[in-house]
Amino acid sequence: MTQTYTSGVKPVWCPGCGDYGVQAGILRALNELQIDKSKVVMVSGIGCSSAMPHVFSTYGIHSIHGRVLPVATGVKLANSDLEVIGTAGDGDAYGIGVAHLIHAARRNIDIAYVVMNNQIYGLTTGQASPTSLVGAKTKSTPFGDIEEPVNPLALALASGATFVARGFSGDPAHLGELIKEGILHKGFALIDVFSPCVSFNTLNTYDWFRQRIYKLQGNNTSDLVSAFTLATEAERSNWSKIPIGLFYKVERPTYNELDITLKKGSLAKQPQHTKEQVLQLLEEYR
Amino acid sequence: MTSVAIRIAGANGDGIESAGALLAKVAARNGLHVFAYRGYQSIIRGGHVWYQVRIADSEIGSFGELADILVALNQDAIENQKTHIKSNAIVIFDPSKANADSLQSARKIPIPLLEIAVSQSGDPVMRNTVALGAVLKILGLPLSELEDVLRRTFGKKGEEVIANNLKAASAGYNFQGIDAAYSLHGDGKQRYLLDGNTATAIGAYAADCRAYFAYPMTPASSILHWFAAHEDKGVLFKQTEDEIAAINMTVGAASAGVRAMCGTSGGGFSLMVEGLGMAGMLEVPIVVVESQRSGPSTGLPTKHSQADMLFVMHASQGEFPRIVVAPRTQEECFKIGAEAFNLADRYQCPVIILLDQFISESYKGVEAFDVNVEIDRGKIADTSTSNGRFKRYALTEDGISPRSIPGTPGLEFVAASDEHDEYGDLVSDMFAGIDPYVEIRDKMYEKRMKKLDTALKSEPIFLPELSNPTAKHFLVVYGSTYGPASEAVEMLNKEGLDFGLISFSYLLPLDAEKTREMLAGKDLIDVEANYNAQLAQWVRLQTGVEIVKKIRKWNGEPFTAEEIYRQAKSMVGV
Repeated sequence: MTQTYTSGVKPVWCPGCGDYGVQAGILRALNELQIDKSKVVMVSGIGCSSAMPHVFSTYGIHSIHGRVLPVATGVKLANSDLEVIGTAGDGDAYGIGVAHLIHAARRNIDIAYVVMNNQIYGLTTGQASPTSLVGAKTKSTPFGDIEEPVNPLALALASGATFVARGFSGDPAHLGELIKEGILHKGFALIDVFSPCVSFNTLNTYDWFRQRIYKLQGNNTSDLVSAFTLATEAERSNWSKIPIGLFYKVERPTYNELDITLKKGSLAKQPQHTKEQVLQLLEEYR
Repeated sequence: MTSVAIRIAGANGDGIESAGALLAKVAARNGLHVFAYRGYQSIIRGGHVWYQVRIADSEIGSFGELADILVALNQDAIENQKTHIKSNAIVIFDPSKANADSLQSARKIPIPLLEIAVSQSGDPVMRNTVALGAVLKILGLPLSELEDVLRRTFGKKGEEVIANNLKAASAGYNFQGIDAAYSLHGDGKQRYLLDGNTATAIGAYAADCRAYFAYPMTPASSILHWFAAHEDKGVLFKQTEDEIAAINMTVGAASAGVRAMCGTSGGGFSLMVEGLGMAGMLEVPIVVVESQRSGPSTGLPTKHSQADMLFVMHASQGEFPRIVVAPRTQEECFKIGAEAFNLADRYQCPVIILLDQFISESYKGVEAFDVNVEIDRGKIADTSTSNGRFKRYALTEDGISPRSIPGTPGLEFVAASDEHDEYGDLVSDMFAGIDPYVEIRDKMYEKRMKKLDTALKSEPIFLPELSNPTAKHFLVVYGSTYGPASEAVEMLNKEGLDFGLISFSYLLPLDAEKTREMLAGKDLIDVEANYNAQLAQWVRLQTGVEIVKKIRKWNGEPFTAEEIYRQAKSMVGV
């Protein structure tokens, strides 16, 4: 029987919000993969993006700002059989919670991490985000942003991520394919998504992206150096050419496959500790 | 009661702790009561370290103010420790490393520890073992238990290490000119030598805690070391990038149905605060260990304090139910380490185990305790109760709603840190302030808070323990101060001063009425390791009873029974 994944809950997004495209992309991926929805846990943080788990009928945790990855990591460590999808915004992922991105990547924890990157803080009514471009005029940078934006793809690559992709919410079919690949990928998968904010980001609009993006084809996705080259193309071209698609994908054992306890099986399904084990442990202290 | 306190002092790296722990274990195996404490600084090599082992023929809860025997491995040890030993103490020292000229009335025993160590084992570090042998002789304890203790302690290092240690110890034991100065008689019972951290970790393990998340921080780090060392025993340990990740991973793992815990000291707990509130809002059962050290800020990283009590009780924005328990003894660390998980599961809220440097890092010889831990996972929904869309946060009489575990079909829900309705759907952004969402907020808030009323009604544990109820005066303590305070009460009563003890381990929630009945009208002296007398504040807030007399301490050193005795005695006008 075909599973349906929508909850019917209406998100808080503005009409035209890029996050609808991301919702459509995730839905396409789930529909195609038909994973048992009771085994899917979607974890979000805070911001417009955090509504994502609510629109789906899977398990979900709508956590706190920036902590999508540690919460999701806790779920995955506790039960390797669950399919864990992180859904975050650029404030969550590249601002307040950026440290967790580095560590989740180097751990190669098997999580698909979909980041709705609108280059602005929308729910707090339009302040600069870590990915706002230099010169961007926002409520917190009325004279123009003077900081270089974070490059999430290059950061993930440098941190040891085994799957790095970028999508555009204006193309949910392409995005859905990337998310599907990210979910199927064994290991940490970052899918950064340009997801325009129609209310507060007047610079990085759908049109702005459509004039600049192109889809990667035939690139060597197992070569770190070419992935870096492509991941920095937007910056190097002064944002005139923005590649989207799969930048990098390699196989490396996941954290759960390497951990001495977890490689024996899902933690949740391991036998309960016994009285005999406790007594044996206490023997060390005599 | 006969008790002997032995202080071993020297430089970090001299094997002070190892010698002290061996001595404590040998004494415990001889059926004696043991309490041990280590003084150290936040420095890896060098620095002055001491380890004091107190051995007695009845139960003790403190390490003794002044040592009866000092082993001084260098000159610093003599100079730094001369005010911490009795005037007639026995002092063992190596004349090639130190002189004891400044000690006037001590009984000095020069032993060429280094020379013996090198000749017996070829390893200069083993001078600590030579000294250990000499101490065993002076205590009148046989050398016989040492071999098995060495085997258990150094077994992994191989037979040669064990044999060399034995040779060094017996050379010290048989050193000419030393005789037994004490005669201690054990009760034949076997005891484990446990520090509070290890006891807490093993208690948690016994309660089927399967995941521990932490970032290193003194004095909580030995819990981390325990879980890391036992990762092959069906438990996951994850060292995290910071304490924020630690508590958030704990929430994630607990949400997925696994019993999970994180631990830290005050600085790390400061970072955990937001995650703690999320556990409260999501109603996820987590256990957090906070081992207090001397603050504020970095403070004295390796020193004792009880100044985080009100902080952990109030940490995080808004109001949510939490349980705070401060074990009083190493035995109770095990018991509460286990019980905390049942409380967390039953009331679906964070449980904080409040330790402190003194209980975390002091060792007690504890009798074999009951390891039969009953496991109660609380209200778990299963598919049989499924009826339409699952109401994870169903409004119930007792405030507790059955929770479902991801992987269970038909009971999917979203746990949200925003205010939510019975399904977990948000009533925040779009609906705040609009009917009927105002009423939902009202009821959901009350539902959460009600859980502690339920806990108070159904568990008779949330009140202090009263000893010697008809006494004239009472010391009032929480957590680790119980040990030295119990001994102080004995000392006071020996002089006919008629003291009792009121000791808290369960701090929040508190059965205010019963606690008030227990305290009201009594002559009370509050004893705690902070400036603001936080326990006294808490008691007053909960019960209205004001404790006027206070013995407070904030210099980083744990209480000794003797100082509590002296101050209490002067407060009752003797």
